Amino acid sequence: MAIRANLKLIEELERYGAQDVSNCYHCGNCSATCPFSSDHSIFPRREMRMLQMGLETKLESSLDPWLCYYCGECSDDCPRDAEPGETMMSLRRWLTARYDWTGISKLFYLSWKAELLAIIIVALLAGAGFLAAGFLLGGGDISVYNGENAFLPAGESWYGLPTGTGVHLFDWILAGVLVFFLSTNCMRMWWKTMGRDKSVKVPPHLYIAKIFSLPWNFMSQARYAKCDRKRPWAIHLVLMLSYVTMLVLIMFFLERMAAGPGVDWKVHVFGLLATVGLLATTIFAMRGRVKKTESQYKHSHESDWMFLILLVVVASTGFLQFALHRSGLDVAANIAYVVHMMAVVPMLLLEVPFSKWSHLAYRPLAMYFNEVREEAATAAEKSAVPLGAAQAA
Amino acid sequence: MEDLKIGVYICNCGTNIAKVVDCDAVVESAASLPGVVVSRPYKYMCSNPGQEMIVQDIKEHGLNRVVVSACSPRMHEPTFRKALQNAGVNPYFLEMANIREQCSWVHEDGAQATEKATSLTRAAVLRVAQHEPLERRSVDMCKNLLVIGAGITGMTAALDLADAGSKVYLVDRADRLGGNVARVDLTAPYLDSARDMMTERMTRVVEHPNIEVLLNSEVEDVSGFVGNFQTTIISKPADGKGTPTKVTHDVGSVIVCTGYKEFDASRITHYGYGKLPNVVTSFEFEKMLRAGRVETKEGKAPQYVAIVHCVGSRNMEFHPYCSRVCCMTALKYAQEVKSAVPGAYVSDIYIDMHAFGKGHEDFYRRSSEVKTLFLMYAKNDYPVIRKAGPKDDCEMLIEVNETLSHETIEIPADMVILMVGMEAREDSGEIARLVNISRDKDGWFIESHPKLDPVATTTDGIYIAGGCQFPKDIPDSVAQARAAAARILGRIAKGKLDIDAVFAEVDEDHCSGCRMCNELCPYTAIEYDAEKKRSHVISALCKACGACVAACPSGAIAARHFTDRQIYAQIEGVLA
Repeated sequence: MAIRANLKLIEELERYGAQDVSNCYHCGNCSATCPFSSDHSIFPRREMRMLQMGLETKLESSLDPWLCYYCGECSDDCPRDAEPGETMMSLRRWLTARYDWTGISKLFYLSWKAELLAIIIVALLAGAGFLAAGFLLGGGDISVYNGENAFLPAGESWYGLPTGTGVHLFDWILAGVLVFFLSTNCMRMWWKTMGRDKSVKVPPHLYIAKIFSLPWNFMSQARYAKCDRKRPWAIHLVLMLSYVTMLVLIMFFLERMAAGPGVDWKVHVFGLLATVGLLATTIFAMRGRVKKTESQYKHSHESDWMFLILLVVVASTGFLQFALHRSGLDVAANIAYVVHMMAVVPMLLLEVPFSKWSHLAYRPLAMYFNEVREEAATAAEKSAVPLGAAQAA
Repeated sequence: MEDLKIGVYICNCGTNIAKVVDCDAVVESAASLPGVVVSRPYKYMCSNPGQEMIVQDIKEHGLNRVVVSACSPRMHEPTFRKALQNAGVNPYFLEMANIREQCSWVHEDGAQATEKATSLTRAAVLRVAQHEPLERRSVDMCKNLLVIGAGITGMTAALDLADAGSKVYLVDRADRLGGNVARVDLTAPYLDSARDMMTERMTRVVEHPNIEVLLNSEVEDVSGFVGNFQTTIISKPADGKGTPTKVTHDVGSVIVCTGYKEFDASRITHYGYGKLPNVVTSFEFEKMLRAGRVETKEGKAPQYVAIVHCVGSRNMEFHPYCSRVCCMTALKYAQEVKSAVPGAYVSDIYIDMHAFGKGHEDFYRRSSEVKTLFLMYAKNDYPVIRKAGPKDDCEMLIEVNETLSHETIEIPADMVILMVGMEAREDSGEIARLVNISRDKDGWFIESHPKLDPVATTTDGIYIAGGCQFPKDIPDSVAQARAAAARILGRIAKGKLDIDAVFAEVDEDHCSGCRMCNELCPYTAIEYDAEKKRSHVISALCKACGACVAACPSGAIAARHFTDRQIYAQIEGVLA
């Protein structure tokens, strides 16, 4: 059965940042140079072809874009300047929009103005909400940073609410919302890439057998380390570890983090390290994108900038409130805290489930799915051998 | 007759001959043959010292015949003939025995190879004894030129010769100048206007005092030989009424530039040409471009345009060869469609992209940059074009087994352009007979040598250029036109033509006038004299192939340098 080509698809992808895809004449240099391209998935060449021909369903079901880390070697080696690396990047954006059932991802990727507006609205709402909570529910005194009467108590109860319902509780509610959107989108990803694919029959037990791939890939970035260029991997690893460290600190140690004014070194040393990691890597990336120092920084989509700017704001305001509180400037520390939350809330509510951040879920999942599928394919090949042998005989 | 004084020279050809053949044994055996005065081996007979040795021996020993046992006479016969001439001996008193290609290179057994080399040398010695002195002759070279076909090739050749002062008769069957190129809009890869190019050529041709343009005309007859042809041209009146006029002209050379015709696309049923209204051929599309209207039969701008390559070319069913211009023309269409209908989606369905010429690879790249979708199909696995359904946003669908992706896909199309290949014109056989040249299995005229003599033919004085020889683009056609013109000018500059002394002769006393040889001669070199009722050979045309000699029932024809006596002597030498 012939597949209908959608000649307009390439234009759709161009709105997600794809460039010069039609220049590709399939020499295969990109796949030859890519350390991840295998006999099972010859990317990025395969994706370039499917995109040129507009094979929408095939592209939607492909895991390949997530297996690429955009080291940029393929784009550098391309004799036709067809930018295969940027194509894979734009496919990741397009796939994110396709996985997302709310349509928010698509809106954000196609209109940076809508994304910015949404961030500003949520930031203002968060700011207003925290100020209102501080004055009405909390201690009501903006000069108190921590303790029982804190303006924004971490774990202690807000006025009139049960114990343990401070900012900490809010964080957990936020995390719940985030996890709901991200996980439903992940399920859609599973359906599009694995569930409806009839070409390989995947026995359910394989999903369990391979489950450890998920945290392993998430934490280690071991696959990224196989890229020939080590610097992007190192930067990504530092950024990711800093981010996860911060997440753990906030979700489980928020009370100890906020306490003061003395320095709780057992906790704060991690917070400081993570802050340095976040600021150093994001500033390096921003500088790279401005100066176009590396091939993966050559093209910048608006969503790339929002990602970096939000991270810098979150990390710097987080550090600022810490420093101000330790310096005894609690009013300023509380204001910095509110500003910090004005960046944290849109980041966690909008950016993580619907924009560039979502790759923290999709990429390890794709590797996991890919391992499951390859294992299933190998098993199917093996079981097919006796049949073939019988036919040969 | 003076005494025979034969010199025999056995070449070692480095080790080429000597490593298999015992050259000293051959020398020794030749020395004892009747008439042999000198018999010597030498490392390289063709070298200057080798030739000098022959000259010295001629002077010292008064040699009057020379045998060189070495390589093929095709290689060095002219060399040794010249050596004889330099020493004051008639060059036809030379005979070569080929003991390299026919001995050392093909035999492993040294003893047997030596025996064979001895026999061949003996045959040469016996033959050379029978040789007669022959003289080369020269004939006048007429400066006038007949050009058949007034396309870009014919006009260019005509202009070169006319500019140099020759009178040119430029004949075309059509009622206009310009041939196929006049049907084209822009040209690849620089997108120059074909019309501008043609206008310049046509204006100069029409206004040139040395060019006589004969349109609606056909060449009825070409007789004579190089430098001295007579041609008869019949011209129909332009309006088709009235009686045709017939003129005869003397010309020294003929250039055939009859071009090609396009493949009939309706022969491939898969493409629906003639049935689906918006499936058009490349030449029909050129017409649209020239008119400045790229639109479907319904008058709408096409949203999807598909281009199919190799229509009639590169497949076993129709023509196995590549038509050479279609790839770049297709890329030109991709770019022209994009500029005519900026929102259109262009699919280019090809087998291989042949972008071999100057500027072609860049042109291919630029066509990619305007977002052409290139789809590859396998030879003999034709795409299928069918009408789309009512729900589709296009008029036709093309099913392609796409080889780069291994997917069977359907491409939407509102207009399909079939890149029809080139084929030999149906009148190419007639032209070939008229000027006595040969055609290959596809009907293209055959050149004298595919690499070293690409515009000459096996008939001296008849040249071929442009698309009638094989599909080619404008630069190649023009290059051939100018090459043919240069060849002819070279001969005109010399003034006289050198004719080989070796040709067949009819002994009129023995000729019965049966005319069997007239039909047989592959070079139409034999004429029948109706008054004398005898045939005679036009020596300038004769290639001394010997067909008439063998066929003549009266034994009246003899070929110079290949007389019965010479051949019998040679046989005797081999068998002795």
